[in-house]
Amino acid sequence: MFNQFENNLRRLFEKNSIHFSEGGRFYKFRPLFEAVETIFFTPAIPARRPPFVRDGIDLKRFMSIVLLALMPPLIFGIYNTGYQSQLAGGNDLNFFNIIISGLLTVMPLIIVSYAAGFFWEILFSIIRKHPISEGFLVTGLLFPMTLPPTVPLWQVAVGISFGVVIGKEVFGGTGRNIFNPALTARAFLFFAYPAKMSGDRVWVAVSNTASTAINAVSGATPLSVTTLASSFENIESMLQSAGFTLTTLFAGNYPGSVGGTSALCCLIGALVLIITGVASYRIIIGGVAGLLSTSFLLGIVSTAHLNPWTDINPLYHLAAGGFAFGIVYMATDPVSAPGTNTSKWFYGFFIGMLTVLIRVFNPAYPEGVMMAILFMNLFAPLFDFIEIRMRVSKRIPNV
Amino acid sequence: MTENLVGIFLNSVFTGNILLAYFLGMCSFVAVSKNIDTAIGLGFAVIFVLSVTTPINWLIYHFLLAPGALHWIGLPHINLSFLKFIMFIAVIAAMVQAIEIIIDRFSAALYAGLGVFLPLIAVNCAILGTSLFMVERNHTFLESLIFGFGSGVGWMVAIISMAAIRIKLRYANPPYGMEGYGLTMIVTGLMAMAFMLFSGISF
Repeated sequence: MFNQFENNLRRLFEKNSIHFSEGGRFYKFRPLFEAVETIFFTPAIPARRPPFVRDGIDLKRFMSIVLLALMPPLIFGIYNTGYQSQLAGGNDLNFFNIIISGLLTVMPLIIVSYAAGFFWEILFSIIRKHPISEGFLVTGLLFPMTLPPTVPLWQVAVGISFGVVIGKEVFGGTGRNIFNPALTARAFLFFAYPAKMSGDRVWVAVSNTASTAINAVSGATPLSVTTLASSFENIESMLQSAGFTLTTLFAGNYPGSVGGTSALCCLIGALVLIITGVASYRIIIGGVAGLLSTSFLLGIVSTAHLNPWTDINPLYHLAAGGFAFGIVYMATDPVSAPGTNTSKWFYGFFIGMLTVLIRVFNPAYPEGVMMAILFMNLFAPLFDFIEIRMRVSKRIPNV
Repeated sequence: MTENLVGIFLNSVFTGNILLAYFLGMCSFVAVSKNIDTAIGLGFAVIFVLSVTTPINWLIYHFLLAPGALHWIGLPHINLSFLKFIMFIAVIAAMVQAIEIIIDRFSAALYAGLGVFLPLIAVNCAILGTSLFMVERNHTFLESLIFGFGSGVGWMVAIISMAAIRIKLRYANPPYGMEGYGLTMIVTGLMAMAFMLFSGISF
């Protein structure tokens, strides 16, 4: 039965292909046709010019693996959003209600992000006659997962439009951009509408409350709970009294952005990405090493007049907030990360280091990983340049 | 004291980057960032000019121009601060001439690479801007030295990363009308957004 379906589908594409090829009625919309066709079938056109790759994997399959790896944090994110919402609204915490409430909050974000983003993607590819890129499937899902669940939908649309057009399409589409489009969109929203993107009141979406009409609930994230600390206290006990033990932080069952709370789910995703070779293990390990070593060193030099975050167990930095999500899914973006191997270690290391430094020293941004990755995107081409220059100078001249 | 100086240095390199936070010195930044080696050369030239002119301008301002500065020759009521722009520019122009002669003597390749942009440092707004910020922020002499040096380093960091990004931009396929400088300006804007990472940190 499946075979028959496949044959019918193939016939359908072959029959309609004529309208979309040169001289056909819908030639203008060829990119759209191609995008749909390649979802089902690998393109039959072989590469005509070198470099030839060894592998049958193309961008679409590559991106599908990332999408697959994004599923654990997404599913947990839906559950967690629903859970926090039901908890805050005072409703009963049965699993079915939680999932429904989570879906009602999260799905609109994803749908708007995909719709607005694909609008620009299709518009650009029709006018500029380049194929529609599958990279957007990942961008359009990553972006809503970094947002707080209460963000207004029009802001999602504005943000993803900025990310796709200014972050990617003005450079000529996927593979040519300098900055990660999803992060560009996130940073743009963060600076343009800070009231909706940060603070204590945006992290819990209350869809339907049982008793009173509550619009926003104060749900402090673990990274913001301690910025209020005036004196030097034992930060770990303070976090624990606020309900954030190391286990909670690792599992991710606390208010936060939609997809970024659970380090455990990101770890599963990281394993998938590393085993399939889609994400660079160098960046991920380098990032974790940078984060741990920097927070460890800060712990040594920590004194009473510094921010209490200097004295925390490094593992808290690893588990709290969006670091795991950022380093696994954002930093490993093959386009905006450096392409050379040694550079990748340094790139990851600096992201980890900057994340800790921003969390500790910049009271304005309790969550540092987004800006750290964006900042290192800026230096990725320089890292590549330096490594290539060093390799060339090491080479023995053959003339 | 040392902590304060380190703070001023880090502040002028990152938080208050003269190029990406105040958008001064854009013209040579956009024009000379095509080649990374030239960018490094111009970066060093800007660092040198800044760390010499800022302290010299400090001396001139505090001993000649500021209200009451002429107290030391017995003229406490004279206020020459309206001359500050012209005096600062004169010092900068003289320093740039000196640098030009030195580079011409020691590195002909760099001299040729920098071309017209070396004399144009004289009208680079980053240089004048740093001197004026130095007056506005009431720096001491040592602080003005560090501030000038730090601003130069910040400018150099920006132009080198831009030059590296422009290597990658050679593969870009921008829409009609966005090629070249248009795309460079957009990248500069995105770079400034990335540098906002430091805004809010007070060293």
